[in-house]
Amino acid sequence: MNLHCKWILYTLTAFDADDVFGIIKESVEGTMGGNIFQQNRVDQWTSNVVELCLSQLSKLGKPFKYIVTCIIMQRNGAGLQTASSCFWDDTTDGSCTFKWENESMHCIVTVFGLAI
Amino acid sequence: MEGAQSGGNTYLIRPNYQHKFKPSVVKECIRDILREQLSGVLYDPDDIPVLSRSLADCIKGKLKDVGFDRYKLVVQVVIGEQRGEGVRMAARCFWDADTDNYAQDIFMNDSLFCVAAAFGIYYY
Repeated sequence: MNLHCKWILYTLTAFDADDVFGIIKESVEGTMGGNIFQQNRVDQWTSNVVELCLSQLSKLGKPFKYIVTCIIMQRNGAGLQTASSCFWDDTTDGSCTFKWENESMHCIVTVFGLAI
Repeated sequence: MEGAQSGGNTYLIRPNYQHKFKPSVVKECIRDILREQLSGVLYDPDDIPVLSRSLADCIKGKLKDVGFDRYKLVVQVVIGEQRGEGVRMAARCFWDADTDNYAQDIFMNDSLFCVAAAFGIYYY
């Protein structure tokens, strides 16, 4: 198989991080844009963000399984670090992380896509 | 994954009970590793990136040793400083509920908190 064919096959079957980035961005900004951190609403926001992302991802119709995680943290000067380690097939699987913040909170959404 | 391909197809679409991703076993593994590596550790912005990365690799290595053949593993570790802030973490998955599963554990001390989640995805 020549290099050009391999490249086409790769783009059709591998995890497309740019597409996914756009989906996450819309979900987060739609759910949380313009809001202030409120303890009693955080549950609802995290659920909304994750569910919105997941429904858009499943509409893409690709043969992938998805894991979406969302962390919302109040801004008060504390530090936060996320790390992930994955055992998968590098040619087809991938992940995408999106960081968002406003004056009162931080939001980090990570999507892992694993090919079937 | 190369082993399954080079050894020929096995056409298994469901794991045996023994080889299933068992959340309770995985949770124990995660708990032991977090307790061992984070007891008495203080939050230090310079060390934490390296520590969280090594924790994730350690958990993944331990899970590979436990022997979940044909499972792809995703381990996510979140470490934050304890300053009284509010934090919420949620995850949703689009997968095959018969074969795939996850386990998570939380470790807290006075200076930091740590959430570790391990997801196991069956490779058909």
